[in-house]
Amino acid sequence: MSARRWAGDLAMGARFALTGGREGWIRALLTAVGVGLGVALLLLTAAVPDILDARHAKEDVRQDFSLTPPKIPAADDTIVVAHVNTSWHGADIRARLVAPDGAHPPVPVGIDRVPAPGEMYVSPALDKLLKAPGNGLLRERLPAKVVGTIGERGLIGPTELAYYLGERGLDRQIGHDPGVGRIKRFGNVSGESSEGLDPVLLLLVLLVFVVLLAPVGIFIATAVRFGGERRDRRLAALRLVGCDGRMVRRIAAGEALAGAVLGLVLGTGFFVLGSQAAATVELFGVSVFPDYLNPTPALATLVAVAVPAAAVLVTLFALRRVVIEPLGVVRTARPTRRRLWWRLLLPVGGLAMLAPMIGQGADNGNFNQYLVTGGVLALLVGVTALLPWVVERTVGRLGDGAVSWQLAVRRLQLSSGTAARMVNGVAVAVAGAIALQMLFAGVQADFTKNTGQDPNRAQMEVDLPDGVQVAAAGAKLEGTTGVRAAVALSRTEYSAKRLDPDNSMQLIVGDCAALREVATLPSCRDGDAFLSADWSDEPAARKLLAPGRAVWVDPSYSGSPGAEAPWTVPAKLPKVATRKDALSTDLSGVLVTPSALPAKALTGLRASVYLRLDQAVPEAEEQVRTAAMGIDPLAYTWTWEATTRDEKFDTIRTGLFVGAAAVLALIGASLLVSQLEQLRERRKLLSALIAFGTRRRTLTLSVLWQTAIPITLGLLLATAVGLTLGGVLMKMTAVPLRVDWPSVLSMTGIGAGIVVAVTLLSLPPLLRLMRPDGLRTE
Amino acid sequence: MTAPAGSLLAAEGLRKTYGPTVALDGAEFSIHAGEVVALMGPSGSGKSTLLHCLAGIVTPDAGSIVYAGREMSGMTDAERSALRRSEFGFVFQFGQLVPELTCVENVALPLRLSGTPRKEAEKTGRDWMARLEVDELAKKRPGEVSGGQGQRVAVARALVTGPRVVFADEPTGALDSLNGERVMELLTDAARSTNAAVVLVTHEARVAAYSDREIVVRDGKSRDMERAV
Repeated sequence: MSARRWAGDLAMGARFALTGGREGWIRALLTAVGVGLGVALLLLTAAVPDILDARHAKEDVRQDFSLTPPKIPAADDTIVVAHVNTSWHGADIRARLVAPDGAHPPVPVGIDRVPAPGEMYVSPALDKLLKAPGNGLLRERLPAKVVGTIGERGLIGPTELAYYLGERGLDRQIGHDPGVGRIKRFGNVSGESSEGLDPVLLLLVLLVFVVLLAPVGIFIATAVRFGGERRDRRLAALRLVGCDGRMVRRIAAGEALAGAVLGLVLGTGFFVLGSQAAATVELFGVSVFPDYLNPTPALATLVAVAVPAAAVLVTLFALRRVVIEPLGVVRTARPTRRRLWWRLLLPVGGLAMLAPMIGQGADNGNFNQYLVTGGVLALLVGVTALLPWVVERTVGRLGDGAVSWQLAVRRLQLSSGTAARMVNGVAVAVAGAIALQMLFAGVQADFTKNTGQDPNRAQMEVDLPDGVQVAAAGAKLEGTTGVRAAVALSRTEYSAKRLDPDNSMQLIVGDCAALREVATLPSCRDGDAFLSADWSDEPAARKLLAPGRAVWVDPSYSGSPGAEAPWTVPAKLPKVATRKDALSTDLSGVLVTPSALPAKALTGLRASVYLRLDQAVPEAEEQVRTAAMGIDPLAYTWTWEATTRDEKFDTIRTGLFVGAAAVLALIGASLLVSQLEQLRERRKLLSALIAFGTRRRTLTLSVLWQTAIPITLGLLLATAVGLTLGGVLMKMTAVPLRVDWPSVLSMTGIGAGIVVAVTLLSLPPLLRLMRPDGLRTE
Repeated sequence: MTAPAGSLLAAEGLRKTYGPTVALDGAEFSIHAGEVVALMGPSGSGKSTLLHCLAGIVTPDAGSIVYAGREMSGMTDAERSALRRSEFGFVFQFGQLVPELTCVENVALPLRLSGTPRKEAEKTGRDWMARLEVDELAKKRPGEVSGGQGQRVAVARALVTGPRVVFADEPTGALDSLNGERVMELLTDAARSTNAAVVLVTHEARVAAYSDREIVVRDGKSRDMERAV
């Protein structure tokens, strides 16, 4: 067989795909749109490495300091930066206060000069928020004059909320507030880089990609088979004029190739259009600049080659049991029974690939990426191999019932492959999602920390910087709309030495009411002092608690000057029990009322105000944030949560949701197109059935059964495979095996929901097709 | 309208347009019980549209159709569907058998739609298949039988409910002459034996020869050849 002959047949197929009048164009368009959506998603995936690199590079370029501010003396070319990140209705705002030390300070990336005190540069998204009606509280919080916007170079995404606010006197906080530091230039000067991913997190990332891309591949394989029945009839006509069996297969492959190439073009178009729209879209808090959406060339090439190749292979595979005769297509009226043995090879092979990695996660878990990818992929693709067999065997055993049931069952018996193909994508997606959700739920505890905060006792906390009058701040916050109560407590320490002491004792300062929030006090008056009963009884602490001992409150440490206030340990220091529900677990030590300390000691306190909110008041949290900003821009406000999760873990989970949303939308679209195509193929028959009096309800129910039966089987199989894969993954990561039934049910529920939605969406066209006047052309 | 005396189904002044195309332009029709009437005419003359109007499949824009003394234009869609299910039978050019059902299930389908239990429906279906000489095909699917056999199965399906009117739209159009004639013989014999009227759309004189009367449709107008004579 010459290559020329091959090329000629493929070209003829391509011509058939693109000609053939309205029907032909609709078919080609359906295929191209289907493939195009898949290609767009693949290109988006291929761009992910670049997106991450670009965001990482941006973060590096604008970095001032991360964990430890550098210790740099003030100079003409230095600037003091304070981190004052906040949020607005759940959206994070990257906030920096800047105070130059001299005339030539470094300028933050993305703006053309350092804002003067009272001036502010804002990101375009924040600018829009500030200007939007109804955001008065935000304007109140950020009253500074906006003198410009932060350019793209200084932002990691187009919808990022950020500002640089010029401020005075920040240098006073250096050494006291870990969020304030002096730098010589912006950028990652320390060489600190984010830690590499935990092996389990890396495994999760890998799995998210595999689980999300497998259904896309299956979707593309389905899309190239749109219009298959009509194509088969056309091929039969070609047989009649002299094409042999191999030729018509090559022509069919040519048709699929043309559809796939057209899909590539459309997909590239969708991707380009989508990337332009990306500037205005934020999904789960993630937005990207269109410029970042550059697919990695190698991956893009792979997509460009693999999609058409897959289209040809899928077509040839699909035609293997179809006998195209000159007088029509014989889809072997009674197909040979599907064999199970080879269908089991894929999942069994997948398990075999994963087996060597079982138990590795507990130690240092170096999972072989290729084995993981191959194993998971084989297990998931195994669903598509097993499902036709399961559907065939099950529907073969289904008995007769009402007419709608009989019509559906008989159709499924005759073409179980088509039915299985329709739900393959959903089944694979659900199987993967179940496995991943199980793993996520299993390892969640490892990435979740208890904060020690009890949201039932307080809902927010405001940490005040040095120098702020605690009582006044507490009063102001208590008077804020939405605040039911405010408890102001301060901490400091005392020691026997004035400078660089080896041992110190914590002092908790608050009025009697505030101290009662941490300990059970028998009686209390201003001037009293108490000792937490659970305080350490070791000799060093005992010495510091000796009545009448002269000590220094807020001693100095090298580089961090303190108030160094002389104090005498009270002669009477009754022991009091710490409340089990104390506002914070670390609020213990010597508890003193303000009058028990010298005035000088009260200047170096680290104060926190704990707030109880009236949840019925809308925007109570925003009111507090705004009030706190009014007290001092360096006041740090946060909402209490009982637990916090690793940020990377959350990011990966978010990635899964973003990807799953896109994949499920794609699968839904594919199902709808496939459903509509099948209905169109049966238009005449539906009209004929209506003509002799079949009730529309009967036919509608029959269509519902035809979808419901395979999707039920698909979801059962998906659950079985998902639980197996999830179990293996949990064993791999050495997590105790536990089935997270709520997530299993929610995943299967979502899968079923998609099918129900698609069925409902296909009902209006079905009802239109059931009009008896469809017989006009009979 | 007053239907011609003794007629089972009659139509007068039927008008139907599809966009700018006038399919029927004042067509008339009548048929008695047990009578076979052929609607003849060239392609696009409106004969199939007339059949669809008479069968309550398509609603005419104007005119009147009376079946067994009842004006059909006053019937709801559900009433017309019920009428088609219980009183009418249909044979189409390509059979339009449900491909996934066996032949006997196809024949039994109209009975089942009317609520007859499956076993009883299939028994009646087998009897009709025997009358049409295709009982050996009962367990086969439409894809496994020849065109002529399939059309005989379709005729059995049309007659299984004991309809008072059978509408046959080019029932032999896809068959060779031998098979076509056999199908027509079986159709008309079976219909006459049950006193069912047959409205037969055809453009073949050979097929029309099986009818008692011919009506020619041209440009949406009908002309009863018997009355013309």
